[in-house]
Amino acid sequence: MTPTPTQLNDLQRDLDRLKQRILDQLGEDDARYIKRVSLVQRLSAIAGRIFMVLGFVTPWLWLVGVLSLALAKILDNMEIGHNVLHGQYDWMNDPLLHSKHYEWDIACDAGSWQRTHNYEHHTYTNIIGKDRDFGYGLLRLSNDLRWRIRNLWQSATYVVLSVLFEWGIAYHELAGQRVFSQKKKAGRHSQVSDAQLKKVFFSKGTRQIIKDYVFFPLLAGPMFFWVLGGNFLANLIRNLWTSTVIFCGHFTQGVHTFTQEQCQNESRGHWYYRQMLGSSNFTGPTWLHILTGHLSCQIEHHLFPDIPARHYPSMTSEVQAIAHKYGIAYNTGSFIGQYAGVFWRIIRYSFPGGLNTTRPSM
Amino acid sequence: MYNCTLKLSNDFEVFVMIVHLQGVWSSFCRMLGNQDSLLCYLLPLIRVVKPNYLPGVYRAKILHLGLQHQQGVHVRLKVSRRWPGFVAGQHIELIINKNGRNIKRTFSLCSSLSQWQKHGEIELFCRVNPDGYFTPTLRRLKVGDEVNIGQAFGDFVWQAHDQTSTFIAAGSGITPIAAMLLSQRQWHCAVTLVYRVKNRLQAPLLAELQRLAQQQTLFSLVVSESSQESASEFITGLNTLPQTLHYYLCGPRDFMQTVRENLLGAGVDHAGIHQEQFGSVSHASSSHQENDEQIITTFLQAGVPRNVTVSNTSNLLQGAELHGLSPNFGCRMGVCFQCVCQKVSGQVRDIRNGLLSGHGEEQIQLCISQPVSQLVIKL
Repeated sequence: MTPTPTQLNDLQRDLDRLKQRILDQLGEDDARYIKRVSLVQRLSAIAGRIFMVLGFVTPWLWLVGVLSLALAKILDNMEIGHNVLHGQYDWMNDPLLHSKHYEWDIACDAGSWQRTHNYEHHTYTNIIGKDRDFGYGLLRLSNDLRWRIRNLWQSATYVVLSVLFEWGIAYHELAGQRVFSQKKKAGRHSQVSDAQLKKVFFSKGTRQIIKDYVFFPLLAGPMFFWVLGGNFLANLIRNLWTSTVIFCGHFTQGVHTFTQEQCQNESRGHWYYRQMLGSSNFTGPTWLHILTGHLSCQIEHHLFPDIPARHYPSMTSEVQAIAHKYGIAYNTGSFIGQYAGVFWRIIRYSFPGGLNTTRPSM
Repeated sequence: MYNCTLKLSNDFEVFVMIVHLQGVWSSFCRMLGNQDSLLCYLLPLIRVVKPNYLPGVYRAKILHLGLQHQQGVHVRLKVSRRWPGFVAGQHIELIINKNGRNIKRTFSLCSSLSQWQKHGEIELFCRVNPDGYFTPTLRRLKVGDEVNIGQAFGDFVWQAHDQTSTFIAAGSGITPIAAMLLSQRQWHCAVTLVYRVKNRLQAPLLAELQRLAQQQTLFSLVVSESSQESASEFITGLNTLPQTLHYYLCGPRDFMQTVRENLLGAGVDHAGIHQEQFGSVSHASSSHQENDEQIITTFLQAGVPRNVTVSNTSNLLQGAELHGLSPNFGCRMGVCFQCVCQKVSGQVRDIRNGLLSGHGEEQIQLCISQPVSQLVIKL
């Protein structure tokens, strides 16, 4: 059942009111929180680099170092980077935490991320053919996408994508613009030239590789291979974690997709409606929310991408009540449960047929 | 001669080498911590001890903060030794923290150069706007609090000390002029200051200027109170003063406009009139405006200004595009933050909720901002 335009207007009013209430509260506490997270991030990054070298005392210290560096990278990418790049902390006017200046510890360039994620994914969330994040052009996740032979081994593709996740998202924009291919897709425009995209991709990528696989290992001297391996492991942990969290955001069992026709001349109310149906949450303790950058509250994040993420958990009950009021499904569950749903989807749609995630329009 | 050229080219090479080294260093820092400098990377740690530490600006400690007659705050600051100094008449950006936000406003320095040279202290006089955003917070700061200041800038300075000059100031427009006069050590010729105030008792910096007038015979001070002397009488009074080669004006827009026209009418060369504009911009109502008005907007692209008019019923992104400019954009609905730009001055309204911005420098999203007052925006 699709809500009527009047209902969508009311939905917009309710959600806007909730948003304004939270925006009015922003202040000192949020500033202190994000500064504290940055502090923990820096401390664990520095500690991680040092402990890895201390591995010559006992390998356990090396392991502590690896986990500490992985934590630093996860905090930097999720709770700080992703949220700062959404402009959640722009109001602080702090050059260190501003969406225009932030650069993160990941292969993907921040500017490229903002174009593909903030703009493409958040504007066209789950519109088949517009939101390339639905399956990343590699995976078939519903019957709305045509089956191809390569989908047969997509569970293997998924594992490879997760392992190399940072490189996947770094290459995401270049893939969309087909910079290495002569066959351009009609109707795709970019504000950045192909040459610029390539330059940024290679320079950011090289910097990350030199740092983790040349500079710090060389600095460690005789511990060269320990540090090299430790950095590799820390990056791997981060890649697997971010990929898992992000897959739980839009590819769970109850998630909906939309056609381009359904979203033509879309109202703000319908945009909200689509964000709610296109995203899914998972529940868990506070530390889990922080490690996911609060993407565990993907629905709230998609409704209010510019509200500091630490407010999402406290908004869930109200958003859920609003969803209930308008008869809109609110997709939430345990972490394991949601992930099982994603995994099943990847396996099921390796084969032809299956169910559509797009529902017929009104 | 030959030696001299050689030295110059050597200096230049050293300069190029330093610039080059700085480039290498900053790429190295970006590689290590994705920040332009090591300091920026360590900033979260530094902030444990110094919570308001900001990169690229200078620390200053409040030594004295006095409320003057409910209308202004007189602030004395001990500035960081790294602060590069100022020319009397220039202004600085003062950055304070308000509820987690770094907010800044520009104020003229009103103290003498020697005070900074001897004691590392500067003074500011800030008029308090009770409904404003900045000054009420400034008033609540305490002695010992740390704030940040920027480098001094501005070209409203005393140019020819050996030529007759008249200074004309109104209200808190006295601040840059007071700095010029109080900084002067060698007086070469007669200087007059005409100081227009509401009433003598509440005039900022008057005591310091009167002391100067007593000590320095070449300096004369004329005070005009608007409670005693009407605007037209004041202008007529100006004409009775002996004409000088230079005029320095600082005060509210309307005041300066009138004085300037009068001076030009009296035959003063316009190259001899130096002025500094300031003053509170009228506050717009936060309701949506019904009558369509064209607002002059200056877009700075790579430093090059482009003046265009944008309707107050259209958003700035559309307005810029309509004039052939192409700022970055994305969703056009305030979600993706692709069109964030630095607003240098002027006021905008958020289309989504009708809220008005401040008048100072801040970041805005072009796609959801309508112009309210004359704007300067960096693209």
